[in-house]
Amino acid sequence: MKILMALIKKEFLQIIRDPSSIIIAFVLPLLSILIYMYGVNLDSVKVTLGIKNDDPNSEISTLVKSFGHSKYVNSIVFNNEKELTEAITRSKIKGAVIIPNDFSTKLSRGQSGDLLIITDGSEVNTANYVQSYSTSIANGWLNTSKFRRLANPVVVNPELRIWYNQDLNSHYFILPGSISVTMTLIGILLTALVVAREWERGTMEALLSTQVRKIDIVLGKYIPYFTLGMISMMFNVFLCVGVFKVPFRGNFLVLFSVSALFLFTLLGVGLTISSKLKNQFLASQVSLGIGFLPALLLSGLMFPINSMPKFFQILTMILPPRYFITFIESEFMAGGVNSIRLINAFFLTILGLFLFALVYKSTDMRLKN
Amino acid sequence: MNTVTITNLTKTFNNLTAINNLSLDIEKGKITGLIGADGAGKTTLIRLIIGLLLPDSGNVEVLGLNPFTQKPELVSKIGYMPQKFGLYEDLTVIENLKLYADLKNQPYDFDKMLEFTSLEPFQDRLAGALSGGMKQKLGLACTLLGTPEFLLLDEPSVGVDPISRRDLMKMVREMISPETTVLWSTAYLDEAHSFDTAVVLDKGKVIYNGKPHDLASTPQEFEEKVIELMGGYKNEPSKIAENYTYNKTFNFDPSPQPSPTRGEGENSSISLPNSPQKGKDVITCTVEADKLEKKYGNFYAVKNNSFCINRGEIFGLLGPNGAGKSTSFKMMCGLTKPTSGTARIMGIDILKNPAKARSNLGYMAQKFSLYGQLTVRQNLQFFAAAYGIGLLDRKKRVDEIIEVFDFQDVQNQKSEDLPLGFKQRLSLACALIHNPPILFLDEPTSGVDVIARREFWNHITSLAKKGVTILVTTHFMDEAEFCDRISLFYKGEAIAVGTPDELKRQAALLNPSPKSSPAREEEGLPTMEDTFITLIKESEE
Repeated sequence: MKILMALIKKEFLQIIRDPSSIIIAFVLPLLSILIYMYGVNLDSVKVTLGIKNDDPNSEISTLVKSFGHSKYVNSIVFNNEKELTEAITRSKIKGAVIIPNDFSTKLSRGQSGDLLIITDGSEVNTANYVQSYSTSIANGWLNTSKFRRLANPVVVNPELRIWYNQDLNSHYFILPGSISVTMTLIGILLTALVVAREWERGTMEALLSTQVRKIDIVLGKYIPYFTLGMISMMFNVFLCVGVFKVPFRGNFLVLFSVSALFLFTLLGVGLTISSKLKNQFLASQVSLGIGFLPALLLSGLMFPINSMPKFFQILTMILPPRYFITFIESEFMAGGVNSIRLINAFFLTILGLFLFALVYKSTDMRLKN
Repeated sequence: MNTVTITNLTKTFNNLTAINNLSLDIEKGKITGLIGADGAGKTTLIRLIIGLLLPDSGNVEVLGLNPFTQKPELVSKIGYMPQKFGLYEDLTVIENLKLYADLKNQPYDFDKMLEFTSLEPFQDRLAGALSGGMKQKLGLACTLLGTPEFLLLDEPSVGVDPISRRDLMKMVREMISPETTVLWSTAYLDEAHSFDTAVVLDKGKVIYNGKPHDLASTPQEFEEKVIELMGGYKNEPSKIAENYTYNKTFNFDPSPQPSPTRGEGENSSISLPNSPQKGKDVITCTVEADKLEKKYGNFYAVKNNSFCINRGEIFGLLGPNGAGKSTSFKMMCGLTKPTSGTARIMGIDILKNPAKARSNLGYMAQKFSLYGQLTVRQNLQFFAAAYGIGLLDRKKRVDEIIEVFDFQDVQNQKSEDLPLGFKQRLSLACALIHNPPILFLDEPTSGVDVIARREFWNHITSLAKKGVTILVTTHFMDEAEFCDRISLFYKGEAIAVGTPDELKRQAALLNPSPKSSPAREEEGLPTMEDTFITLIKESEE
């Protein structure tokens, strides 16, 4: 016990003296939240469309106007086809609507009028927006114009209710999700270097020639960085909830308990890397590769896990951030959903214990060469 | 009574036999010195004895315990100081002591230890900020906590000045009880000569085990005998120096005048082999320090340092750790900006024209500063390019260097895997690749075994004879004897400058009857080590 306490005290002294730990624990979350807050935006944005009206009928000019009134679209009116083409080529406009000169004539005859919608297939998402916005604006116009008898009668009237995130503000789920990515980085980076450092500086050799037991070495690394990680987690949550006013509907006690489990698995990843590689440079490279990229790409934060290929879906099952992201998004936006809390906490516990065993096994009590 | 009994011990690392069927007994209550060339297996043997490594075959018994199965019981009885001392550099002196006291379940009773190490005023200083000698003392203090029955020290005196080395020895001798066994691996043969027993290792085998005095009565003879045991050293003409071609860009003052800082009396400068031609750039000193000063806050790291080194001269900077040698060095090659004063290399001001001045310089740093991941050949190619050797000449030059330095067999090996002696030769090769007229060597032989050191100095003195000016720092006092002139540094100031004999005479005057030791030279002059210590003590008073 005395030995463990001495090792923990030593590690804390090193944390305090080493600015990089403090930077990782506190500056990194701040930067990351600022980037996710102001740099990443998944909300639908206004698309700029070009409109060319070849139909002289005055009724049709109201269609052109309704494009101008839409809150989803910025419209620019073109009279010249060449200019329109060039504007698309230069990405000044993301698509175009061309109203042919027989549009109103056909509608007056009770036939269906053709509308040409051009989209930019090089940006698939935007192309979809252009298509759906233009169609819905045209249909909306039809219902209010003098041709409204041609419109299909509205049988079903959808009443829209958005649960969990009324304003569809993407920051409300990105920021909590970003905590998960940040914590992954922090948890792994903090610990990836600390065992390797002892090997490189030769202090491990000295430790191993004292009465230090294996469990002392392992816990002597887990406990200090767990403490630091939890403080960093609180700082993250404070930034999200206190500074950026992301609504929190769950229970803080549950949030921090599950975070503790998450951190426990991450420290396991970092310490395994560090104990195996025994080289600080290599360890830091590997931990970025193992820590950051999967947390960002495969955790379900950016891309839904359901739409991934089967192989990657299975792969995500061993990634701690996957469980934590599901949990933290639900805890923030939906509040306490016990089934989500339990299942994710369960998997994190399993992973954490497995990694702890791995760290214990990877801790060498003798030199290899 | 034996503390350690080793029978038929073998240990290999990837086909390399480090310990080869070795049997050895280490007597209780004695100080045993472990001597051997780099890669002879000293460190491996020590690590096997305390169970940090597992052997391939053979048995070891230490204090009645088997280190391979009973390591937890064993470690509580021993004190082990690894080569890197095992100190936490970001912890203070007292925090390191407390940590190791806790790890060894000892009370916080450091008064005697602090007094002994004279670390008391530095208790709150970070271990990383201590000088080399103080680090070693602190490492030893941590090792001695809990009065171990068996003390193992792996090259504790590498890179330490003579004063600290004596302190270290004194500390060990006074802090241990008569029953304590000590195993001390060392590259200093004078140190080993003073021990009870000397064990000489070569290629993983014991080639001598007995009383040092049975082998030779003086440290000098002991060194010769040990070298003989280790296969002998043949003093062949240096191929490296033969291959060196002096770049005649600069011309010199035809008559080598004694420089202003040069001491009076005998002039030991080596006669210049190439008679200098008269020309435009006539310079007296190839390397010149002009009132160099470096201040950190109120603290003078180097104070008013001036000297002038002539062509082909070996100029030694000696002094305790932390005296300002390295700082002077860094200022001389333009790596640190002096607070005032300047340095001139071949007459070129290092502050005004650093790139041009440095192009005349070959620099060998204290630590191995080549690319460990690159092979020997790749390192040479890189440095050839970095020193501006054209693409066409580069391959030829690299081939030449590989041949001259005998790198043929290792040229495709990663340089980090080479034994220390090879690494040091490679560093010298990289420093010489552009045939510089000046060489700066910062503790070039630190940690290198005695034969490699002899070879190294053979090259250096031969190079000097070809006109290369050499500025060198060292902690080996026998190496100081190779210098034409020495500047003794202490607390940032040069306290004495002169030839080795001049300094010895100066010391003899100050200290007319140095304690009689068999190490005294015929003329009645003190040894270089005694000279060093006497002069430093004198300047203290």
